Amino acid sequence: MVRTAVVGNYPRIGVSVEEQSLRRAIARFDKGEVGELQLQEAEREVVKAVLREQNEAGIDVVADGQITWYDSQSHIARKLASVEINGLVRYFDTNTYYRQPIVRGPVRWTQPILVDEWKFAQANSRAPVKAVLTGPLTLSTLAVDKHYGKKGPFVKDLASALAEEVAALVAAGATHVQIDEPALTLYPKDVSLALEGLDTIASSKGAATLTLFTYFGEVTKIFKELQAAPADLLGLDLVQGAKTWGLLSKSGSEKPLVLGLIDARNTKPEDPRTVAKQVLTLKGKVDLASSYLSPSNGLEFLPRDKAREKLRILVAAAKHAGVAA
Amino acid sequence: MSALLTTSVGSFPKPEYLIRARAKAAKGDLSAKELHALEEKATAEWIRFQEEIGIDIPVDGEQYRGDMATYFAENIEGTVISGLVRSYGNRYYKKPIITDELRLRGPISVDWFRFAQKLTKKPVKGMITGPYTMMDWSFDEYYGSREEACLAFARLLHQEAVALRDAGAKIIQVDEPALSTRFDELPLLVKAVGIVTQGLDTKTILHTCYGNYNEIFEYFNKLPVDQLDLEMSNSGLDLLDRFKREPLKKEIAFGVIDVHSHVVEPVDLIRERIEKALTIFRPDQLYIDPDCGLKTRTVEEAQAKLRNMVTAARAVREAHHLTSGKG
Repeated sequence: MVRTAVVGNYPRIGVSVEEQSLRRAIARFDKGEVGELQLQEAEREVVKAVLREQNEAGIDVVADGQITWYDSQSHIARKLASVEINGLVRYFDTNTYYRQPIVRGPVRWTQPILVDEWKFAQANSRAPVKAVLTGPLTLSTLAVDKHYGKKGPFVKDLASALAEEVAALVAAGATHVQIDEPALTLYPKDVSLALEGLDTIASSKGAATLTLFTYFGEVTKIFKELQAAPADLLGLDLVQGAKTWGLLSKSGSEKPLVLGLIDARNTKPEDPRTVAKQVLTLKGKVDLASSYLSPSNGLEFLPRDKAREKLRILVAAAKHAGVAA
Repeated sequence: MSALLTTSVGSFPKPEYLIRARAKAAKGDLSAKELHALEEKATAEWIRFQEEIGIDIPVDGEQYRGDMATYFAENIEGTVISGLVRSYGNRYYKKPIITDELRLRGPISVDWFRFAQKLTKKPVKGMITGPYTMMDWSFDEYYGSREEACLAFARLLHQEAVALRDAGAKIIQVDEPALSTRFDELPLLVKAVGIVTQGLDTKTILHTCYGNYNEIFEYFNKLPVDQLDLEMSNSGLDLLDRFKREPLKKEIAFGVIDVHSHVVEPVDLIRERIEKALTIFRPDQLYIDPDCGLKTRTVEEAQAKLRNMVTAARAVREAHHLTSGKG
């Protein structure tokens, strides 16, 4: 009665020699020992493996794991007009880093960013592959703005660019599109900017299911506004955002949700029955049949074996919730 | 009066032979004893280099450490080490997992401190990875609360600090690179570092880097240490104005070398940075060092950067008729 989805990124290497193939390929590429084609081949093998892991676990809506992404910001920004990619900056509280985009002129969409990657992933997955894009508020918040001077017009142009990308993804066949706005957990005051941007993006989603996902914290202050977001699903981090759970369990949600209840930042395994019980407390308050259960954010911050375990826990919890219901 | 004393943050690059040896040891092709001997050799080389160029407060260079959190966790009971997680690009590291109550097996870094201190008459820094960073960079399967895990680390690391002092350390540095990750947890960090440094009669330092200093500024004077060690050149020295308005009541180790750049800063540029710092801080309050550990640079780059740093500090001292206070 509740389906399962992942949020986006996934560990690209594991402990075994086979699972380190991409690390070796990148090292050889950096030394000039292999070319771009061979590197791409190595990447694609990992994408296939990541999709296989999700399909075998029985996840209903999967993702390509963002295996080819350097990070969540530069992978999207680097293909937009007027963007340069600069040095490393710490990414939220994750102890990982992203290459910071610098914007020196009006941002524009000039070419597809994720379409080929999405097509390849979908061709290698039984389950529908969700196309995941970093949202305009988060992209603008983590970039250096040398052109706009104000966040408003910057977010607006980014949203227009992302809308074109979403149109291209939908034309290619994507039925699930997700916009990630982790910045909302840190800067809730920017919610109206984020939602205006999302409105632009939503205009090109066609028949696809559009999810707005916030993670790395709680969103109680803006929960009401998020309920009115122009998206079909609202994704919530209910682990780091435990406060959001507190509000949700009291007031419910008009909008169907992606319930990020599986801790994607900690190795400790959840008991699937406990998670199932927690989900079922929302019965009558949330349209569970239209909602999904998910990790609290992408699984990349865990070692590969632990990420696999979390996938199993996720599916087991959803099954228990279905049986108990 | 001592002025503009030069020092380093902690890590130095490992020489090629040590990198190869570590890879061999990881595969089981080199014994722990053989690896240890090479780590000692590299440490001795770095101490000699620091003596040669005249650094006032040397460090052991952390030739024996992989990741700074994992190294401490490996020596603490109640943790296991995870599989690989990505830091950025093609760089991965192993994270500690707390699986049980944390307990100290024995001193962690004291033997290395002793080894390094024997090689020089200058005071070598004792180096501790701070409790907040240990907590933030570990998975927790036991405590279930960031505060509890953090304070548990703090109590153990206090024992480590006491052991370093008893071994003769005159200066103890607590590294907290995770300091600025969650602003709402700064009171926890202050409390935890306070536990580590409680009752120590040594000089204490807190090092942090690559954070949003403006958000944490009001905490600087509350940190329970004698000296703050801050990355200043990477952030474009823009904090200086704020220090002018809101004076620091502690000593400051002022980062004048960008550790993420291959470019070796010319002496004149470093002099300029020190001169700027001198417009805000008293000479006896001001220490000169790189922004952060130099381990990601090559040995040659790191040495060239340090050499220029010491030359620049010396030139500024001379220009202002200051001495290092070392006779």
